[in-house]
Amino acid sequence: MTGNDKLTTKNRSSDRRIWLLIAGTALVAALFVPFSQFVLHVEYDYTLRTVALGGSLLGIVSGVLGCFAVLRRQSLLGDALSHAALPGVAIAFLLAGRDLGLLLIGAGVTSWLGVYFIRLVTGTTRIKQDAAMGIVLAAWFAAGIALLVYIQARPDASQAGLDTFIFGQAAAIVEGDVRLIAAVGAVAFIVLGLFWKEFKLITFDPEFAGANGFRVNLLSLLLSTLIVAAIVLGLQLAGVILMVGMLIASGIAARQWTNQLGQMVILSAVFGAFAGGAGAIVSAVDADIPTGPLIVVVAFLLVAVSLGFAPGRGLVWTLLRQRSDRRLFAAQTMLQDLYHYALDHGRADLPAPEPFLVGVRGATAREGLRQLLARGHVQRSNGAWMLTPAGIEAAARDDRNHQLWSVYRQYGDDLALPVVGEDRQQDIADALPPAAVAKLEYRLDTIRNAAASAAQQQPQSGEVTDH
Amino acid sequence: MFFVEEVVIQLLLNFVAREDLNAFLRDPQHTATIVGSLIAVSGALLGTFLLLRGMSLTSDAISHTVLLGIVVAFILMGSVFGQHPDLSSVWLIVGAAAAGVATVLLTELIYRSGLVKQDAALGLAFPLLFAIAVILVSRVVSDVHLDEDSVMVGEIGVAWANTNSHCLSGCESVTITPDDPRAELTRQCTNCRDLGISPRDDKAEFTEICTNCGQYSPAQAWQAGFTEQEPALVFWPKSITVMAVMTLLTLLAIVLFYKELKLSTFDPTLAAALGFRPTLLHYGLMVLVSLVAVGAFDAVGSILVVAFFIIPPAAAYLLTDRLPRMLVYSSLIGAAGAYTGYDLARGNLLGIVNLSDILAGLNDLFGLGLSESWDSSISASMVLMTFFFFLVAWTFSPKYGLVSTMLRRRNQRRSFDHQVVLGHIHHHQGSASASEELAASTLYRHFRWTPAKMQRTLRQLRARNLVQIEANLVSLTERGETHAHQFRETQLTNESVGE
Repeated sequence: MTGNDKLTTKNRSSDRRIWLLIAGTALVAALFVPFSQFVLHVEYDYTLRTVALGGSLLGIVSGVLGCFAVLRRQSLLGDALSHAALPGVAIAFLLAGRDLGLLLIGAGVTSWLGVYFIRLVTGTTRIKQDAAMGIVLAAWFAAGIALLVYIQARPDASQAGLDTFIFGQAAAIVEGDVRLIAAVGAVAFIVLGLFWKEFKLITFDPEFAGANGFRVNLLSLLLSTLIVAAIVLGLQLAGVILMVGMLIASGIAARQWTNQLGQMVILSAVFGAFAGGAGAIVSAVDADIPTGPLIVVVAFLLVAVSLGFAPGRGLVWTLLRQRSDRRLFAAQTMLQDLYHYALDHGRADLPAPEPFLVGVRGATAREGLRQLLARGHVQRSNGAWMLTPAGIEAAARDDRNHQLWSVYRQYGDDLALPVVGEDRQQDIADALPPAAVAKLEYRLDTIRNAAASAAQQQPQSGEVTDH
Repeated sequence: MFFVEEVVIQLLLNFVAREDLNAFLRDPQHTATIVGSLIAVSGALLGTFLLLRGMSLTSDAISHTVLLGIVVAFILMGSVFGQHPDLSSVWLIVGAAAAGVATVLLTELIYRSGLVKQDAALGLAFPLLFAIAVILVSRVVSDVHLDEDSVMVGEIGVAWANTNSHCLSGCESVTITPDDPRAELTRQCTNCRDLGISPRDDKAEFTEICTNCGQYSPAQAWQAGFTEQEPALVFWPKSITVMAVMTLLTLLAIVLFYKELKLSTFDPTLAAALGFRPTLLHYGLMVLVSLVAVGAFDAVGSILVVAFFIIPPAAAYLLTDRLPRMLVYSSLIGAAGAYTGYDLARGNLLGIVNLSDILAGLNDLFGLGLSESWDSSISASMVLMTFFFFLVAWTFSPKYGLVSTMLRRRNQRRSFDHQVVLGHIHHHQGSASASEELAASTLYRHFRWTPAKMQRTLRQLRARNLVQIEANLVSLTERGETHAHQFRETQLTNESVGE
């Protein structure tokens, strides 16, 4: 099997995993609706349907665009930009009154100015991106607050509801808002589809993109604009403070399951939709629970599950692998220890006293002996441990493998063998082609024979050495 | 806290009369400016180190999650200890500091897993904690003034009204017991509500209760009319004390650990190698940030406080390269922002522009019908003024400002042009092609410049007496000759052109 074949099968299995995961999430979502109805006694009235639909759509839009923010290490950009939207809302209200479309356009404009300001500050001074984002966040938000307080002092009472943008108020979402989210999201996806290759390139290798004549600055500004659009759409639901969580959480969760951008984006959309919908439904259990924070909590649960259980990457997986590595290592070490101890003292099945083994290797000794006992490679003989015939065979095989690796290390270059990473846990026949192993074995036997004939001559040269 | 205030008041009374002190503190502007400046100074000092360590946004995260600490402490105190604390209680401060450290720990936990980048870890941790806080506020805490406004903007404008009263003389605390002749007694039915009967019913049982019994502080006793002599009181705003203590703590920490902080900021590896425990310093710094954030929570809310941590140090960073100066500058900028911000909230920008005039102008121009009296949030205005000073620093900083950078670039461009022309003349002077290469009228073609640019450059060179034009032929003067030689020797041999 060549390397290429390995790669494709790996990819195929990861493809299958993604689809399984998506199907699983959909299944959980499908089961969640009756569960919420019959166990949590949620009533699916018009408001809840609208909010849940809006939450899901928003989860899709922000999940997809959030992937890019996460990958470009601009996770906190979402935080800065959502705060920066506030003065736009206030100014739009002052100029045109309470019209949602215009308010969102105003929010988009000031957020976008925030993006521009960040680029300007980082481009002309030595202030780093994080501090520049902090400046935009605080200053723009302060301007928004100053304007809001000014508006609240106005005689007409129609300003009611502007501060829902700060904390988000899901219940205020109506059908028109859902349509707006869908429409803007669709436009954003079309742009994303058109510039998919470019966005991918500037996300992973901006220098290479620049060297190939792509307008990196313009493209990243366009990408930031799309992110601004997602943030602005989410303001009403999640509010300026929690929007960053909505934006990046599902992307981070999706990142754990795959290494491919396309799969990550799809998965992130699914996760986002699930978090948005499920959060909205759970928050309907009790009128006191605000929707935005609950969506963030659900999204974070997805992240926690992904960090824990994602195959190959997740923490549980890593722990299991570390444990099995440790066991394997302990077993191999003890096998070698027993074998060499016995050989040094004359014969291969000589028992070694347990205190001696534990004294030398500590906890590894106990663990290793347990493993070996389970495999039938060792047996007890009154307080000491000895190798069984099977153990002796395994130890000899392992020992020879070690010696072959040593020969490879020493003579690999001379014999013009292919270069592979030295991994003594691995059977050398798996790492090197058969011809190379044959060469190594030949070389090892030559060395052995030379050593043996030298040892035969040794008694004649007088008993100078001990061993 | 109370004792500290007492000492400070006694000290102050050596210099000013009690009435003047009261009048001074009762002015909203004075108290707001003092509190704002204290927040700004402590924030700026800590923010300087945060900025230099590249973790400015950690202050953003901490200031948000401080809310969680406050809420949890609130719930614990209410349900476990049965107390009803106000927002300046020590336990709330402890809870908030713990929440701040918890944020940092959670972020590092997520980051250490190796699965998530640092910025994403921060972006995960604090929305989660803040979301939990908001859920708790809306579910569990209902009767507190942890409302949205206090999270957003704080109450620096009314900080003067929330006072501790300190009694200096004529202090007579009064305790009214039911036996006291001044006690007001009334009868209350004990079983009316349980049985659902009216007090006139025969089965109704009564007890005597006292409506005004209890402890009266001197001020309360005087108000209730229990004492004849008016006590001499000083009303000291609580938030001044809280913020002053936080500022002093910050200052003390920075003075005591200046060397350690400096080293671990600029060279954490060396600091660790020398045994300075950078991790410990890191968490110490985070605790201080949390303390200042919670102290400021009352006054400016949990979001705007970020500005005091980030903007003044960023402005100072543009003005100097030295840490001690940066600390001083950022404190000054923060304090100046707080001082001028109060006026901005009333519509007065540095005494130059009046926002009401601008609003009136907008109304005249566009007919917007805006309200012409500008009366806005004080804390937000303080932030805006700080931002204004940042913009000033950014524009006019002698070393890193936009203007000086522009001038420097222009000078570099000009001196490059000069050198190129001098080099060209030096190269062709006296050669066979001199008449073609050095004709003043067509010189611009050899550089592919516009004629105007060449004219300008030649004019400048002639003004510096480096070049002369005779019969439409450009040549170097004696001075120009030495200049070109020098340039060749010093600059070109070093293989570095320009600065």
